Amino acid sequence: SPALTFELVARCPVTRARASILTLPHGAVNLPIFMPVATQASLKGLTPEQLEATGCRLCLNNTYHLGLKPGQEVLDAVGGAHKLQGWNHNILTDSGGFQMVSLLKLANITEEGVRFLSPHDGSPMLLTPEHSMSLQNSIGSDIMMQLDDVLVTTSPDKARMREAMERSVRWLDRCIAAHKNPDTQNLFCIIQGGLDLDMRRECCREMLARNTPGIAIGGLSGGEAKDDFCKVVAACTELLPDLKPRYVMGIGYPEDLVVSVALGADMFDCVWPTRTARFGNAITKHGMLNMKREMYAADFGPIEEGCGCPCCRPTEEEGAMGITRAFVHHNAAKETVAAHLLTLHNVWYQLDLMRQARQAIIEDRFPAFVKGFFGNLYPDRNSYPTWAVDALRGVGIDLIQT
Amino acid sequence: MTVDNQNLESGAMRFEVIKAALKGGAAARLGRLAFARRLPIDTPNYMGVTSRGALPHLTPDNVSKHLETTGAYMALEDFIERPQQYAKRTPPIYETPTTTKHNTRLHSFTALPQSVTTVLSARRLPAVASPMGNTNASVSVFTSTGFQVLTTKEYLSAVKTLTPDIAIPPADLTHSPITPNSKRALRMAERTDEWVVDWFSELSDSNNPRISTFAPVLPVSYSIQWEYISRLAEDYLPTSQLSGLAIYDADLLPDLAEHCAALVPLPRLSLADPPTPHHILRQITLGIDLFALPFINTISDAGLALSFTFPPPTTTNTSSVSESSSSCTGGPSPLAIDLSLPAHATSLLPLTPNCTCYACTSHHRAYIHHLLSAREMLGWTLLQIHNHAIMSAFFAGVRSMLAQGVAQEGNFDEAVRRFTLAYEPEFPEGVGQRPRARGYQYKSVGGGEGRRNKPAWSKLDGKAQDEEDGRIEA
Ligand SMILES: [Zn+2]
Ligand SMILES: [Zn+2]
Repeated sequence: SPALTFELVARCPVTRARASILTLPHGAVNLPIFMPVATQASLKGLTPEQLEATGCRLCLNNTYHLGLKPGQEVLDAVGGAHKLQGWNHNILTDSGGFQMVSLLKLANITEEGVRFLSPHDGSPMLLTPEHSMSLQNSIGSDIMMQLDDVLVTTSPDKARMREAMERSVRWLDRCIAAHKNPDTQNLFCIIQGGLDLDMRRECCREMLARNTPGIAIGGLSGGEAKDDFCKVVAACTELLPDLKPRYVMGIGYPEDLVVSVALGADMFDCVWPTRTARFGNAITKHGMLNMKREMYAADFGPIEEGCGCPCCRPTEEEGAMGITRAFVHHNAAKETVAAHLLTLHNVWYQLDLMRQARQAIIEDRFPAFVKGFFGNLYPDRNSYPTWAVDALRGVGIDLIQT
Repeated sequence: MTVDNQNLESGAMRFEVIKAALKGGAAARLGRLAFARRLPIDTPNYMGVTSRGALPHLTPDNVSKHLETTGAYMALEDFIERPQQYAKRTPPIYETPTTTKHNTRLHSFTALPQSVTTVLSARRLPAVASPMGNTNASVSVFTSTGFQVLTTKEYLSAVKTLTPDIAIPPADLTHSPITPNSKRALRMAERTDEWVVDWFSELSDSNNPRISTFAPVLPVSYSIQWEYISRLAEDYLPTSQLSGLAIYDADLLPDLAEHCAALVPLPRLSLADPPTPHHILRQITLGIDLFALPFINTISDAGLALSFTFPPPTTTNTSSVSESSSSCTGGPSPLAIDLSLPAHATSLLPLTPNCTCYACTSHHRAYIHHLLSAREMLGWTLLQIHNHAIMSAFFAGVRSMLAQGVAQEGNFDEAVRRFTLAYEPEFPEGVGQRPRARGYQYKSVGGGEGRRNKPAWSKLDGKAQDEEDGRIEA
């Protein structure tokens, strides 16, 4: 693809984990990667400069939100989302469809597109694959997502699930036809098919035949059991070509990231790290800490010992702020600054987790990294989640045996 | 500028009047205020006003990188709340360890850059009036868990523990716009007088040479507080215990200069909450050296970008001025532009022409308009960065006018006169939605703050949107 190159740097000889370099129109990105979600062209109070300093080189914007505000006309006038937000690195946008289905309960889907009522004035609106492409072309994202027919994976309606999967393939064809800038923007397909592995495989084959520069696994991150989630990811990665990036949509819990990397996925996004920051939660290698708890009121340690983010890094170091848990506690839910600081920390944590995984893959010690990760997170092996133990066993890592 | 190391040994504050007013005591002057390990403050100048130890919307890294602000006003009432379940706990800030990077507890608890000079007072600026009032030995303060009593002893002990660069002794203030009757005013002066006597007797035996006391001058007439002020001049000036004055009403400065010339060399910090730059200039001409400016925060929250310069542009009808003006009639320019207005939706201009702040050099009006419209917190962050930059530039302009040679005396007054004509007398109101009122500070102020904002747009099923909506829960 003229707008994307993918270079495989290393593979884990035990699992399916890969380290690679994805080069997009706004620069190179190391995979595996976590992509923070700057929903409305802003990452929750962080300046683009602060986001850049976390090492982030690819973040998300949401097409649905940008379509509402600032709207397509403004995006065209300003010259796209990069210019709008002063972000010179890469942007990935979703199709807008998922947000409509999840935010607007009354949206309904026909062959034409997704119908919904405008949140502005209640007038009926229609998001078609063509309209989604047009919006994403105006946004100018480096990676665009096809409009897909999203159904909760737990839906028992097999016929509807098949319809959604097949319609998503048809909509990909319409997206490809409507995409105006294939030389500067990449369109990724999205594999659907619920929890039915055969349907997922069938969808993979159909989608691969369209030869998009990257491939996403969609429809997960909902209410499905983690076992099922892992089976779907594993079933898809097994069929996917080596030399294309694989994006599992809507995934963000650290355990999900680490297991999905082991299953051969490269890219992830989720609002959870930034949203949970606004509720006063810090993600750490030992789990999540709620800074609003009284126990942190007089805790003068960093948010996480050993963390390299600008909040936590040792105070003597250049650029360190010297933020204590006590200060975050003091202002959690009271001053926006506390939310900004936790957002900074959480985004750093997620990006660094993927940097560490990548380094481990390159240095041929990924299984040890995975074991160390779970060892930090749980008090003992008996408390490891079964789904993770099983999924990792399936790709050659036995968490329980040493 | 570099951090002042000359004073490192003594720890004493230095205030140097570089250019005194020719006309005598109560007039504009140029100076430099320096504290050990802080950036020296060229005066006239201003300090930012913190809320709960933070400059609103600005993380400490953004403060270091993008603000020139050399001082921060802090209120003890922001740190001493007693949560119901932990009513007996020691306020955590008293126990913060200091570090090599943050050499006072106030700095290390708030992670405020070490270069920034701190001022500690009992009350926020502006303070919420307490229904309970003060007593002979305490002031009533408003914390996030409600009103509580702060004894003058406890406050003094907090000052010794936190070691701010500048401490304001307790003052018996009403924090009400209504002028107190003469009986009340007299009691204010008497109480403040007694408290200040206690303050200096306690502080003198402590080992805190780093704390400089700026004694409050009450917003009541000089004739009512002359005894108190005379005591300051006669008892505490010769002993060097008194380092400066905290002025709650700048109009007292002429009386002060006339009756108490000994106090003239002291730095004067205005806590009078000037509502506009016009008021700031007026207070400068009365001899104020340093301001704490709460309006910067409210202006940013209102979606406004300050758009004035000092001295004002010489040709008032230049394109750059009319650009930021809502009308093209050539009248006075607005003091701020309202970024919520749709006119900015596609504007790739900086907030104001020639501004070198981070917001103006890295972003444009269209983005900030979008952020405000989407209620993204970054909008207020960028406005804070810009508004602080405009204030820094404003004061730099004031200083450079004052610094011009004696032959040009009168230039400053002339520039002030032109400024009055060049700009509208008041800030625009700002049509945008404010950030969600952060916690408690606004609750008792008229109660209108919460209703100012319309509810978030609703889902089709009628429930309020709770998705990614750019707000933290209050
Ligand atoms: Zn951290
Ligand atoms: Zn600016």
